[in-house]
Amino acid sequence: MNTLARVGTSICTNPETRALHVTASCCKNRAARIRVGKGDRPLTYEQALHPHHIGHRKGWLSQHTSNLMGENGAADRTVEDVFVRRFIFGTFHNCLANEIVIKRRGNMLVVCALMLQRLPPQKFYFLIGYTETLLSHFYKCPVKMEVQTLGDKAVYKYL
Amino acid sequence: MLLSSLPLSNLITELAIVTKQRHIHSFQDSTAAHYMFQDDPYLTPRTSAEFKLYSLSQESGRLAAKHIVNTNPKFFQKDFAEPHIPCLMPETMEPRIEDVSEAALLERIMLRKVKAAVDMYDQLLQAGTTVSTDATNDLLDLICLYGDHDPLQDDKPEVEDVEERKASESHRLGEDSLENNNAERIFNLLPERDTRAYSALIRGMVKVADVHIFNALISAATEVREKYNEKWDLIVELLKQMNEQKVKPNLLTFNAVLKALRRCGSLARAQSLHTLSEMKALGITPSLASFHHVLGIFYKTGNYLMLTEVAGRSFVPQDPDDVYFFSTAMRICLETKDLESAYRVHNLLNVGENWRLLGDSFQQSIYYGRFFNLLCMMEHIDVVLKWYNELIPSLFYPNPQGMKDLLQALDTDNRLDMIPQIWKGDSAFISLAQDIRRMGHDNKSDLVEELLSLMARDRHSPEVQESFAACALDVRSLYKQGQVAKVALEWTTASMTNITTILLAAQKTKQAWDMLNIFKTKNRVPSEELIDEFLVRIKDGQQAVELVQISASFCLPSTPNLAQRVLQEFELSEEQRYGGGGQKSICIPGSYLLFIHVLVFSF
Repeated sequence: MNTLARVGTSICTNPETRALHVTASCCKNRAARIRVGKGDRPLTYEQALHPHHIGHRKGWLSQHTSNLMGENGAADRTVEDVFVRRFIFGTFHNCLANEIVIKRRGNMLVVCALMLQRLPPQKFYFLIGYTETLLSHFYKCPVKMEVQTLGDKAVYKYL
Repeated sequence: MLLSSLPLSNLITELAIVTKQRHIHSFQDSTAAHYMFQDDPYLTPRTSAEFKLYSLSQESGRLAAKHIVNTNPKFFQKDFAEPHIPCLMPETMEPRIEDVSEAALLERIMLRKVKAAVDMYDQLLQAGTTVSTDATNDLLDLICLYGDHDPLQDDKPEVEDVEERKASESHRLGEDSLENNNAERIFNLLPERDTRAYSALIRGMVKVADVHIFNALISAATEVREKYNEKWDLIVELLKQMNEQKVKPNLLTFNAVLKALRRCGSLARAQSLHTLSEMKALGITPSLASFHHVLGIFYKTGNYLMLTEVAGRSFVPQDPDDVYFFSTAMRICLETKDLESAYRVHNLLNVGENWRLLGDSFQQSIYYGRFFNLLCMMEHIDVVLKWYNELIPSLFYPNPQGMKDLLQALDTDNRLDMIPQIWKGDSAFISLAQDIRRMGHDNKSDLVEELLSLMARDRHSPEVQESFAACALDVRSLYKQGQVAKVALEWTTASMTNITTILLAAQKTKQAWDMLNIFKTKNRVPSEELIDEFLVRIKDGQQAVELVQISASFCLPSTPNLAQRVLQEFELSEEQRYGGGGQKSICIPGSYLLFIHVLVFSF
C-alpha cells in the first residue's frame, strides 16, 4: 500500500522554502501493474488488469458520490477508505481473497468482502460483529459487512 | 359449553374473525435464513445449535468492540455526525463537566455519583449560586435511594467474596440513620420544602414495604405451606396486609397470585376467575403471563376462553413469564388435537408486536416443533409440505422426532416418493434425505433406519425406485468410515437388508453384490428372502453359482433348495455343476454334521 506523503509543517507555513518529497515515489506507469514474470504467479482478475482498464474492464473498488461535480469530501472519503482497507486486512488476517469493495449508501458504509474459508464460521461472525461495531463507533455511521466465502482464490491468469 | 357458565363470558366483547390465513409474519422471508446472518452457504446455520453458536459469537464480537471503545475513549471522540448520534459515542462513566454549575450537578446525579453530587451541591452553595428546587429534589432522591453511598460500579474489581459483601451491606444498613445526616442537612438547607422533598426524605429513612416485596412474598407463599387451602389462606392474608398498608397491587402482583394458584390444585379454578375479574375491575389489563397461568390451571378446557380473550390484541412484554404463553397454548392444542385453535394461536402471532413474545430461540423451537407435530398428525400431506417449506429452515430446525413425524405423515398419505428428491429437478418439492443430512440428523441411527425401512417396504414405479436407489447409496456412504470428525453409523442387519432390497428393486445388481460382501465383512447373515430376491434378478450362471457359494458360507438352511433351483433354472457348464455339487456337501447344516460325527464316533 502506498504510504502517504508527509511534509514538514514548518516548510508549509514558511513561504520562502521549497518542499521536499520524503517518501518513495511511484510513477503512474508502474502503479498497480504486476509485470510479466516466470508464469508461476497466480493473479486474480483485479490484479491482472491494469488501472487504465478501470471503467472499461474493471469496476471501482470504492463507490461514493464525492467525486461528482459540486460535491465535497473526496479526500476525507479516500482517507477513510484507506483506513478501512487496512483495518479489514489486519482483522481478517490471511482470509481475504480479493480487494474489498466499499460502498456508501446514504450515511451507511457497506464493506463487501470476499473471504476464504480459512476460519470456522463462528470465528467469522465474531470478527464481523467486532468490525461492524468498531467501525460504526469510529466513523459515527452504520457500517455493514457483506461477506461471501470461497474455497480458494479465483485465479484469472498466471504471470 | 363451558363458556356460558363462566362469569367472564359477558366480558368477552371481541369477536374473533377466524380466517384460515396461512401467511407468516409479513417481514419474514421463508426462503432465507435469519437476517442477522450473512447470505453465504458456508456462513448459514443449518441446525439449531449452529444458529445459537453463530448468533452468540456475533454478539460477543460486538461486545468486544464496545469494550475497546469504552476503554479507549480518546480515539472515538471526534464527532462529525450531523445530527449527533449519542449511541455511537463512547460511554463515559466519569463526569465531564468540570466547572461548578448546575449542569455539572445534574450530570453527576445522572451518573449516580452520590458523593460527587453532594460535593458539587456544597460547592454551588458556597459559591452563592441558587440551585433550583428540581435539582435539589433530584439530589435528595438520589441520596435517599442510594443511602449516601456510591452504588457498586461494574468495572471496579470485586475482590470481596459474597459473604464479606453481605456483611458490609448489613453494616451499611445499620449505619443508615447516621449517614442520613447528609440528607437531613440538605433538607434543612432547602428554602422551601415541598411534598416531594418530604416524601423523598421519609422514603430514605424508613424502609417501607412496597409492591415488589409483596410480590416476592406471594410468589414464595407456595413453598412454605403444604396443603392447598393453607396456601390460599396465606395468600389471602398477604393481600389483606397489602390492603392495610395501602399498597396498590400491580400486574405483577396478580400474576404472582395466579402462578401460586397453579400449585393450589382443585380450588384454583374458581379463585383464578375471581382474580381475573378483580384485575378487570381495577383496570389492570392482563398480560400474556396471566393467560399462561390460567391455561395451566384450566388445562384443556381453557383454550377456547383464552383464544377469544386474546384474539386480535397486541401485547407488550410486561412479565418475564409472558414468553411461555405461546408454547403452552400450542402444547394444549397438540394434546387436544385441535387444529382450529392452533391456527388461531398462530394467527395471533401476526398481530402487531406479538412476535416479540415468542421468546428466545429455545422457546421458539418448542413452539414451532409442537405446531409442526400437530400439522403432521392432522393435516393433508400437501398442506404439511407447504408449511414445511415455509417454516424450515428459516424459522426453526426440527429435531429427529419432528422428522420422524414427517416421515410418518408421508407414509400415511402414501407419498413416499417424496423421500429422496425428485432428481429431475422439480424444485417445488423438498428433499427430505438431503435435509436430514444437512441438519445433522444423519448420525441418528433410528431416523436413518426408519427412512430406509420406509423406502424398502413397498413396490413403486421405476423412477421412484431409481431415486430411492440413489438415496440409498447416499445413505450407505454415511455408514462408511473416513469422514473427518463424523462418527460413522454402525451397520445393522436391518439397514443392510433394506439397502440391498432397494438396490435390487432398482436393478442395481452390482452394488447389491457389494452389499453382500459387506455382509460378510461385518459378520451379519442375510435373510433367506434376500437371497431369493437375488436369484430372481440374476441372469448369469456364474453369478448364480457364486450366490450358492455365498449362501453356503453363511450356512443358511435353504442352501440345498437354492442349489437345486440354480441347477434347474440356469444353464451351467460342467465345472460349475461340479463346483456347485461340491458345495452341496459342505452346505449341510452344522447340526447335521455334528450328528453324523456323533454317530460315527459312537460306533
